[in-house]
Parts: sequence; C-alpha cells; structure tokens
Amino acid sequence: MTRQVTIIVDGRPVVAVEGESLLEVLLAQGIDIPHLCHHRALEPYGACRLCLVEVNRKGWKPQWRKITTSCNFPVMSGLTVYTGTERVKKHLKTTLTLMLAEAPMSSRIRELAGRHGVTIEDVEARFEDLDRENLCIRCGLCARICERMGHYAIATMGRGGRRNPGAPLDQPPPDCVGCAACANVCPTRCIPVTMVDGKRVIWKREFAMVQCSVCHKAYITEEQAMFEARRAGLDESYFETCDECSRREIARRFLEHVI
Amino acid sequence: MSATPKTPDAAAIARTLSTTSARPPGRGVLVVTPSRCTACRTCELACAVAHGEHMRPARSRIRAYSFGENKNVPVLCLQCEDAACARVCPVEAITFDERIAALRVDTTVCVMCMVCVPACPFGNIAEDPTTSTIVKCDLCGGNPICAQFCPTGALVFEPA
Repeated sequence: MTRQVTIIVDGRPVVAVEGESLLEVLLAQGIDIPHLCHHRALEPYGACRLCLVEVNRKGWKPQWRKITTSCNFPVMSGLTVYTGTERVKKHLKTTLTLMLAEAPMSSRIRELAGRHGVTIEDVEARFEDLDRENLCIRCGLCARICERMGHYAIATMGRGGRRNPGAPLDQPPPDCVGCAACANVCPTRCIPVTMVDGKRVIWKREFAMVQCSVCHKAYITEEQAMFEARRAGLDESYFETCDECSRREIARRFLEHVI
Repeated sequence: MSATPKTPDAAAIARTLSTTSARPPGRGVLVVTPSRCTACRTCELACAVAHGEHMRPARSRIRAYSFGENKNVPVLCLQCEDAACARVCPVEAITFDERIAALRVDTTVCVMCMVCVPACPFGNIAEDPTTSTIVKCDLCGGNPICAQFCPTGALVFEPA
C-alpha cells in the first residue's frame, strides 16, 4: 500500500509517496542535486556522497538539522528538506575535492567540481602524487548493475582507495557475458569496451557478436543472446535479425498478406 | 494520374505543434491502412519533429516503406501484449503504460545493453546513437503526431 505524504522542500509543500527515494522526489521537482552513483534500475546505495541535503524530521526541534545523502533517505511524513544550504555546499566541496584527487583526469568530475568551485589547481596544491591515469571513483555502480543483470561477474575488491571493480585475482571474469552494462552506467566512463576484429573486448575477455543474418550488423554478444533467451524464455532465433532488416521484412510480409 | 497530396514540411509541422494544445493523453488504437499509404513519409518527419530537438527522420519511430506504386507500408510498434522487448529487458525498463495502452522505455532505468533491439521480431525498437538511448513508438503519450499529419488517412488514431 503506497501512502502519499506532504513534505516541505525549501519552504514549499511537495506531495510524494512514502518510502520513495528523497533524491528522486527532489530531481522531479527540478532541483539540481549532483549525483553519480544513483541509477533507477537499482536500489539507492549512497556511495558517491554528492546528493547531500539537510533534513528535519517530525518530532525534532525546529532548529535541528541533519545532513544526509538524499538518495537513500526515504520520504516520510513531517519531513522538512533544505537543499543547497551553506553546510551542504561546504561538505559537497570537500567530497568533490577528494573525488577530483582520486580521478583528476575525468572530464565529468572536473566539470562537476568546477561547477561547485573546486578546480584541479586547488587539488594539485593540496595533494602530492596524483594518479593521473585513474578515472574510477570507486562508487561500485558497475558491480551493482552486473548483479542486477543477473551475471554477478564482477565485484568490488579491496577497501577505501583500493576498492577496485573487477573479477577475482584480476582474471577475466568467467560469468561475464559482455553486455557492457557496467561500462554504460559508469559515471566516469572508466571501463574500456573496444571492438577488435568484430569482437567486443571488455574485462580482458573477447566476445563474438550475434550478427544480423541479412546485413551483419551486430548489437549483442553471443553469450548475451544465450543468457537473455534462457532468462526470458524466448528462442535464440529472436536475436538473429537486426531492427532495420526485421522492419523491412515485416513491411514486405504485410504487403503480401494484407494488400 | 491522381495529384500527389500536398505534404507539410518540418517547419510547418513544428509550427502546428507549437500552436495547437495537446489532446489530453488517453488510451486508443493507431489504425494503419497500408492501402491508403503513398509513402510520402510525412509521418517520419512528424515523428522526428515531435520527438526531441534533433529532428532526424533517420531515427523516426515510424517508417514508411515503398515496394513500388501503390505498394507502400508504414511500419511502427504494434504495442504487443506479450512483447519480446519487454520480456528480454533485464532491468524492466520497458513497461506497458495502462494509461495510454502503449509500451514505453524508461530511459533512466535502461542500461543500454541492446538486447531489445534485435529481440523485437518486427524491428520497431531501435538505438539512437546520438542521444545514446533506446527509441520506440510511445503513441506520443496518447496523441500520435504522425496520425495528425498523415494526409491520406493511412494512419488514424481512434481513441478508445
């Protein structure tokens, strides 16, 4: 049973569903809240620590404020939310400074940090030995999406600054089907996917592609087709023709039978 | 020889769309009559104008094919009851919107794994590489623009 409640966002009443992610509600209101590790296909996680807001709950003294990540904070009745406050800005700046030090070459982090007053020069002045190769912000979104897709091929290993995504012992993951969902959702695009000789290369593995039987255009890998066909209970022949060729074929068959 | 019906250009479609207020969304069926189609491809243009700022008919959700004189077929999503695209989607981003009786892709849930694109037996779900999204006919939220601009009545939207 979903229950609608009214919360106060920056002094304005907003109707939302109880238990829903607060970040979703704020974004739907058009409020610009930075976020990197949130994905609507997954449960909230709170890894990137960027979607900060201040809240006051029912029963609290009016002057009490708690700073929290909004993605994994559920909407509840009597909630008052303050976005973009001085305290939020201060904490956001700290987080972005650390994040930029972690991944100084990521254009997305640079742009996001720049918008909140953190430049690469500030980070260079404060930290020595920046890893100029690294793009990963260790948010773990890739491993979470892999789990959601049903593959469990990659996970994060290690802790803190060494929390790297990948398969055990840095070997090619045997359960990977090469769907590249991890690379597609990665906020800093740090998982390389390349096409070599018509094969998709990801996580040090090569995947043969399912080519359209007519035009040879390829969208998915053979292992992906096998996995998804079994999961959805469809025949693998469903994946044999690309959209363009299927559409033309169906138009031709329509002509034969209808006109 | 019958005169070719006058077809509007992209600017005219955009102008009309900006001046007319949208019909409130509702359930309905988009009736396709291939024998009336002249493959003028106004529907492709209207679709491109209605969906997003890029206005590229190459990524239109409807396609009119011509196999010779009076052999024209407009093809668009059939909004299947047990749709292959929705069945194969690993993250359930493709759902049936009861409000408008159409299958819709929630692009914020989609992870671009591309399984739905070859899975559709009718080829009516495609990738838009420019915006990196999956595109399919969503009946324009219950008021299909292609039907509004079809000059021959090959596409008619009948509200339920």
